[in-house]
Amino acid sequence: MSVIELHDVVKTFGATHALDHLDLTVEQGEVHGFLGPNGAGKSTTIRVLLGLLKADSGTATMLGGDPWHDAATLHRRLAYVPGDVSLWPNLSGGEVIDVLARMRGGLDEARRREMLERFDLDPTKKARTYSKGNRQKVALVAALASRADLYLLDEPTSGLDPLMEAEFQEAVFELKDEGATILLSSHILAEAEALADRISIIRAGRVVQSGTLAELRHLTRTTVIAETDRPATQIAAVPGVHEPELHGNRVTFDVDSDHLDAAVTALAGLGVRSLAAHPPTLEELFLRQYGEDVPA
Amino acid sequence: MSTSPATSSVTGVGHLLRLILRRDRVRLPVWVVGLGGTIVASALAVPPLYDTPEKIAGYARIVGATPVSYLMSGRQVGLDTLGGIVANEISQVAQLGVCLMVVFLVVRHTRAEEESGRAELLRSTVLGRHAATLAGLAYGFAAALLIGAITAISMLAAGLDLAGTLTYGTGLALLGVAYTAVTLVAVQLSTSARGALGLAGAAVAVGYLVRGLGAVEDNALVWLSPFGWAQGMDAFGDERWWPAGLLLGFTALLLALAARLMAHRDFGGGLLTTRPGPARAGWLLSTPFGVATRIQRGLLIGWAVGLFLLGMLYGAVIPTVPDLIASNPEMADFVGASGQAAEDALVDAFLGYMFLFMAVIACGFVVSSVLRLRSEEEAGRAEVVLATPVSRTSWMAATTGVALVAATKLTVIMGLGLAVGYGLASGEWDQVVPQVAGQLAYLPGVLVVGALAAALYGLIPRGTGLAWAAVALIAVQVILGQLLGLPDAVQAVSPFWHLAAVPVDDFEVVPYVSLLLLTAALVAAGLWGYRRRDAVAG
Repeated sequence: MSVIELHDVVKTFGATHALDHLDLTVEQGEVHGFLGPNGAGKSTTIRVLLGLLKADSGTATMLGGDPWHDAATLHRRLAYVPGDVSLWPNLSGGEVIDVLARMRGGLDEARRREMLERFDLDPTKKARTYSKGNRQKVALVAALASRADLYLLDEPTSGLDPLMEAEFQEAVFELKDEGATILLSSHILAEAEALADRISIIRAGRVVQSGTLAELRHLTRTTVIAETDRPATQIAAVPGVHEPELHGNRVTFDVDSDHLDAAVTALAGLGVRSLAAHPPTLEELFLRQYGEDVPA
Repeated sequence: MSTSPATSSVTGVGHLLRLILRRDRVRLPVWVVGLGGTIVASALAVPPLYDTPEKIAGYARIVGATPVSYLMSGRQVGLDTLGGIVANEISQVAQLGVCLMVVFLVVRHTRAEEESGRAELLRSTVLGRHAATLAGLAYGFAAALLIGAITAISMLAAGLDLAGTLTYGTGLALLGVAYTAVTLVAVQLSTSARGALGLAGAAVAVGYLVRGLGAVEDNALVWLSPFGWAQGMDAFGDERWWPAGLLLGFTALLLALAARLMAHRDFGGGLLTTRPGPARAGWLLSTPFGVATRIQRGLLIGWAVGLFLLGMLYGAVIPTVPDLIASNPEMADFVGASGQAAEDALVDAFLGYMFLFMAVIACGFVVSSVLRLRSEEEAGRAEVVLATPVSRTSWMAATTGVALVAATKLTVIMGLGLAVGYGLASGEWDQVVPQVAGQLAYLPGVLVVGALAAALYGLIPRGTGLAWAAVALIAVQVILGQLLGLPDAVQAVSPFWHLAAVPVDDFEVVPYVSLLLLTAALVAAGLWGYRRRDAVAG
């Protein structure tokens, strides 16, 4: 069952098409990486899901309800971490955590203590004195300390140091084990690669690719580096092979995943001395999606 | 070998000033046109009204010699001349206006920038340590001088003599200059822009009240206030320039203090430091109403203390009001009674004006309180709340409710202040109920202004500035409505125009209830609009 289903959603701000016929599906119990560069529409999508923005057209379903009409009811079952956290300057961090948790309908005391400790956050400091990273931690603790079915995390680790980033990843795995669904918007690809079951890449308000990391890789080329007894002069003739480069007995080329078998068979007839093949990293996938050249 | 240009602690002031003018290309003209225009219109309205020597002489004896006039405008000299009358009529709006203008403008470009972190970005460029302060200073000075110049020109246009005009304009401009310096000290002390606004605003209020009390009592207290120094230049009297030296010396002293404080503090720091808070939220923070209350607590306490003291001061003046009858027999004729009846009529007129004046001030509170909705939205904090099961209706209703309840509490507090001040000064404590009730007679006017702000927020969030325009319009109507001869259609925009002028007139139920109903309707319209629009700026 899908927890989030956006279909053909359009949202414009004046002349700007923030969401341009966007489709997005997030399944129950998955960590869904939502990737895209700045301004691609990630935060707008999340705000439509939160019922803060009203879509101009298209259909949106979240947790079985309408995010605009049933906003307050649906919010009982979700927790949200904004990308740019702003807190009431005259409240302490601990007060902010309690306020948000109470509004959400209560919090798990043990989890609150545990999260404060894990994220090494002093709850007695007034919000105006927190650094960006510490404000982010307040929002994270507030979200993670309450039990929810769905977590909407909008670039939740911006401003966190690597130790805290590791704690965050740990916490996400725990939530997933408990059966929660997580939409993780990010442009930190390593984070998405580590956490996400499925990934959607958004570009100019439109989801251009969606699937598991393996599926996305399958859609793209694998880089092969081989040394053979006899030079692989005929490799370019194999369908699906791109940009072959031959240096004596050493050959490198990219091959479409569907033709990997044929290419390896062709190499095998030449006497393989060494063979290395690596699927594209998420970064390469991402950059390719944006039409950049990826060094092999 | 190339040498880079030398940098000093004020390098980059020019760039900053250009940035300030670009950012305020609407705000500054609104202040100058709004305040300057009001002064021009008032100055030009006086001569046609006082076109015979008899009328001018009457003004000196009646209008300019009331405790209200002393309290609000001080003891203006030359009231038997047209110049003195013009000065007396415009000085309340002009003096308070120029002070509040520099306070808002200077805080906006100094502490507010530093608090937001934008100044940090600028400071990383080739910018001297004191450049931002100096730019704020130059901006405040320029704005004050501009208002002084506009005032002088409008007085000349009204046909007043050059010497008095120059003296008055200079006094007004230097008052703005002095409060620019006050504001620059305030922004060194507080780490938040709101705190700095509160400190500087309180300094304006204290200066204004001290001058007013000194004028009523006719004693040396006036010389403790910059307002008194500006007035002490005796424009349209025997024009003396030495009090200008007091204003300049005061300014120099405060600027030196500000520079010293600035040199001894960290970027973003202040002298009033932030203490740690509780690790857990109290019971108050369990509901949207409680949260909205807590967010506004500082604002509320500040206003409550300020308005209580204001009420006390005004209340303390009441027992001296009847003395006017004794000292000025014409006043009895003017109020159309004699003996006890005349005294009572005079006290009632005074009380009625105080109720009205304090209600107008409360309008400023209620608008800033309701419009917290807008700043919460812009800061992204509303988003975090609305991501919880709290509905938009309950969030907006809570914040609006807090503002309207607070306005009601403040109204009671102002009335109590009046009663306590009166009680302390006269030893009579039987006026508590009438005075609180009297102040409450003006409450719907305050509430409807808050409701207007709520309606604007819900329906046209970009137009919330109109709520401030409404407050300004109401202030002009109340203070200058008669002088300007505003047509009824314009005066009717002010809710107070519809309410009975208690205690001079008897309380009227119909306008009172009508305004309360209008308040409810406006709030409902705002809630309706808010449910339908995008909740965050795109």
